[in-house]
Amino acid sequence: MVSPTARTKIFCAAGAVLLAALAAASLFAGKYPLTLAGLLAGDEMQLRVFWTLRVSRTAVGAAGGFALGVAGFVYQTVFRNPLASPDVIGVSSGASAGAAAGILFCSGAAAVTAASFAGALAAVGLSLALSALDRSGRHSTIVLAGIAVHSLAQTALMCLKLTADPERELASIEYWIMGSLNGITGYGIGGNLALCALCVGVLFLLHRQIILLSAEEGEARMLGVEVGRLRLAVLLAATLAVACVVSLSGLISFVGLLAPHGARLLTRRSGPGTMLLGGLLGGILLTGADLLARSVAAAELPVSIFTSLLGAPFLIFLIVKGRRDP
Amino acid sequence: MSFLAVQALAAGYGGRQVLKGVSLEAEAGQLVGVLGANGSGKTTLLKAVCGILPHTGACALDGLGLEGLPPRQLARRCSYIPQRSGIAIDLSALEVVLMGFNPRLGLLERPTPAMRAEARAALARVGLAGREEENYLHLSEGQKQLCILARTLVSGGGLLLLDEPESALDLRYRSRMLGLLQSWVRQGRRAALVALHDPALALNGCDRLVILEEGRVRGVLDPASDPLEEMERQLAAVYGAVSLCRCRGRTGHSQLVLLKEPDEPAG
Amino acid sequence: MKQNRILSLVLAGALALNLAACGAPSGSTAASGAASSEAAASSAASSAAAASSEAAEAAYPLTLTDQAGREVTLEAEPETLVSGYYISTSLLIALGLEDQLVGIEAKADSRPIYARSAPQLLDLPSVGTAKEFDLEGCLALEPDLVILPLKLQDSADTLAEMGVPALVVNPEDQDLLNEAVTLIGEATNTSDRAAALLDFAAGQEERLAQALEGAETPSVYLAGNSDFLSTAGDAMYQADMIRMAGGVNAAAEITDTYWATVSYEQVLAWDPDYIVLASDASYTVDDVLNDPSLAGCKAVENGSVVQIPGDAEAWDSPVPSGILGSVWLASVLHPEECPAEEAQAVINEFYETFYGFTYSEN
Repeated sequence: MVSPTARTKIFCAAGAVLLAALAAASLFAGKYPLTLAGLLAGDEMQLRVFWTLRVSRTAVGAAGGFALGVAGFVYQTVFRNPLASPDVIGVSSGASAGAAAGILFCSGAAAVTAASFAGALAAVGLSLALSALDRSGRHSTIVLAGIAVHSLAQTALMCLKLTADPERELASIEYWIMGSLNGITGYGIGGNLALCALCVGVLFLLHRQIILLSAEEGEARMLGVEVGRLRLAVLLAATLAVACVVSLSGLISFVGLLAPHGARLLTRRSGPGTMLLGGLLGGILLTGADLLARSVAAAELPVSIFTSLLGAPFLIFLIVKGRRDP
Repeated sequence: MSFLAVQALAAGYGGRQVLKGVSLEAEAGQLVGVLGANGSGKTTLLKAVCGILPHTGACALDGLGLEGLPPRQLARRCSYIPQRSGIAIDLSALEVVLMGFNPRLGLLERPTPAMRAEARAALARVGLAGREEENYLHLSEGQKQLCILARTLVSGGGLLLLDEPESALDLRYRSRMLGLLQSWVRQGRRAALVALHDPALALNGCDRLVILEEGRVRGVLDPASDPLEEMERQLAAVYGAVSLCRCRGRTGHSQLVLLKEPDEPAG
Repeated sequence: MKQNRILSLVLAGALALNLAACGAPSGSTAASGAASSEAAASSAASSAAAASSEAAEAAYPLTLTDQAGREVTLEAEPETLVSGYYISTSLLIALGLEDQLVGIEAKADSRPIYARSAPQLLDLPSVGTAKEFDLEGCLALEPDLVILPLKLQDSADTLAEMGVPALVVNPEDQDLLNEAVTLIGEATNTSDRAAALLDFAAGQEERLAQALEGAETPSVYLAGNSDFLSTAGDAMYQADMIRMAGGVNAAAEITDTYWATVSYEQVLAWDPDYIVLASDASYTVDDVLNDPSLAGCKAVENGSVVQIPGDAEAWDSPVPSGILGSVWLASVLHPEECPAEEAQAVINEFYETFYGFTYSEN
């Protein structure tokens, strides 16, 4: 039997190779015919498509999936709940409401990205502020505050949808909520990707503290952890990372839930390696799903359909297999 | 002034007062047992001493008030072991023990190889040698308690607060656990406050016993020197009518034996 | 163990929901895709026109089958009308019935045609939208006939039960629109005018076909209202507009019957000769011309990006004036065969004949 540490390393290596392969495939699969020869020969149009469209779409798919996987790992660990996800503290619904407001009141993709980012931050800020009203600092308070903010954001979203013109705005809102990487271009993703990378980096640096937060509050405090402040910092970093991704792509279901879960079932550990594997699985899932979303039909399909379709059987397989293993 | 001085400690949950003014003391090198019926306030006392529960009154360790210390400072001086650890994610036994070094590590620092060696040694001392890589969640409840004990041993504070650490252990490991605690408090300026479930273990392992009744200290026993009748009377508050006798085992080692007497019918 | 089992149940449930969610749209696509075929559309259009032009004075009581397959009986010629759909409202104006309307759909102020042709409609009480129909408000107007879209079929049934005849129309494509024109014409005893409306469209279609015979067919990317990257597949009404105007739909390979989403590189791969923005687009021609992701695209390089005018109505939707979309687009794609002045004249003629205002006077 391979030791868990070695197992984790093997899975991480395999995951990295698979992600690299999918990213390479993503660079060369798409509606615009690209050839290696054309690129090397310096065909202007091919180079432009490659650099501004293909590369950025691939980068957002791989990095976004990675961030969602890592953030999901953090949420599940900190909330001690295997079903926790960014929705728990309202980031997704906040982002949706923000995007809807952006679609209704502003114009242009950049404005929608900014509005959904602001919406996500507002929702998270509100739920953390609400939870701070209860001085005991229980996890359940944050979750309850998150549920309250989630429903508030949903209500806001409903109101916005009600006022939306069904022909143009409502369709945009619905499509945004389903999530897609089809509109991603090289313009205006730099800031999001940089902030996202920064947050993910911080999360890896704080990994040991995240593990400490998984103990009960009293226990964690007696291990010298400033539970309230640290939890705030960690959740903020994880949420910022998610907000960076979803404000570009729209909601992407299941990746944040599935990838870390899969990583823990594969490694049966919670070390930095498992967090890395969670990120890699997230990247694989999103890149793979995006490959399908852009190629199975003549039109682009929402990427969430495929993240769920690919991810759910994988997770069920892991659960069933995990039960048989010692 | 005593090494650990607890004065007029009162605490509760919501509006319900559980601890109603407890004062107790412990000298350096002492293992103090806390006995009491269910609901008498044992867990509340431990949580209040280490500041997890808001409370009135004061706790001082070695002359330094524990209230208001930042968590890291507090954790360097004082460790608390809950009845059950709240760890619910997959971690190896070694990783759980390494958590104990946190008060000594910077926010972004990782445990050093020396710390890892120390953690392995602590696991070996509690009887979990060779199980460092095992999943903590897959250990038995007793082994989990031993693992958490090892974590506490490496954290290197002066005060240990343990909440029924023996509850899931079999007879052999119970005395081993208490032996470990005894040898730990004897090294340097240290003390331990242990809520215990098993009175026989408490009588033979602790230097001092605090009997709690309905949130107040009913009495403090010195099992080595107090007269048996006095101790019987105090213990009856927790366990009903009991008899105590001193017996000598085959090794010639003197021990207190507790016998349960039939309670007088109520009314 | 137990926790695991619960978890797997939850996940299985979540998956099932997801499958259900993505199953729905494809099902509806298949259903509506089967209903409309191009050949049927054009033949039905001409036969409907022929049939209605023969229609004489309607005899009441009159029993009609509406576009939901319901039987509707009118005891007498309706004198007060309620329209719960902008297409039927516009059609009623074209049939000269604007003064008989006593209630129309909500957001009337967003339809410039009302203000230009029948401003009195703006003061009429609203009976709500397809999402929120105001049943009681509608009953309070005591209309002789209510015309509702297919989405409000349930409300139509309720109205019928309460003794108010309600006609359901479903003008989703050219074919169905022609049918709706004929149906409403019969119901309101304006079959002659309805026939004239259909004849006008048929005549323009024929004129365009003749003028453009043998002409080149430039490719056209039609960008939707909601987003530049949403476009009309070949099964959509808008595709017919491009075809009649002598163009080829760049997105012809897409068979969706609703707006489909594509990527930038797909647009670049199609490299259309023209980019045409839907008339209610939430972005502008300048947005498209300045979009760096579209640099290098033929239409953008040549400045061939235009928006369908929406000064009166959105011609890219199945409204009675829909044929004008083709007339206008033909003048854009083929300025030699179909000069702009000619298109302008046709548009003016249409609005003067049916709506009583001059289009070019703004």
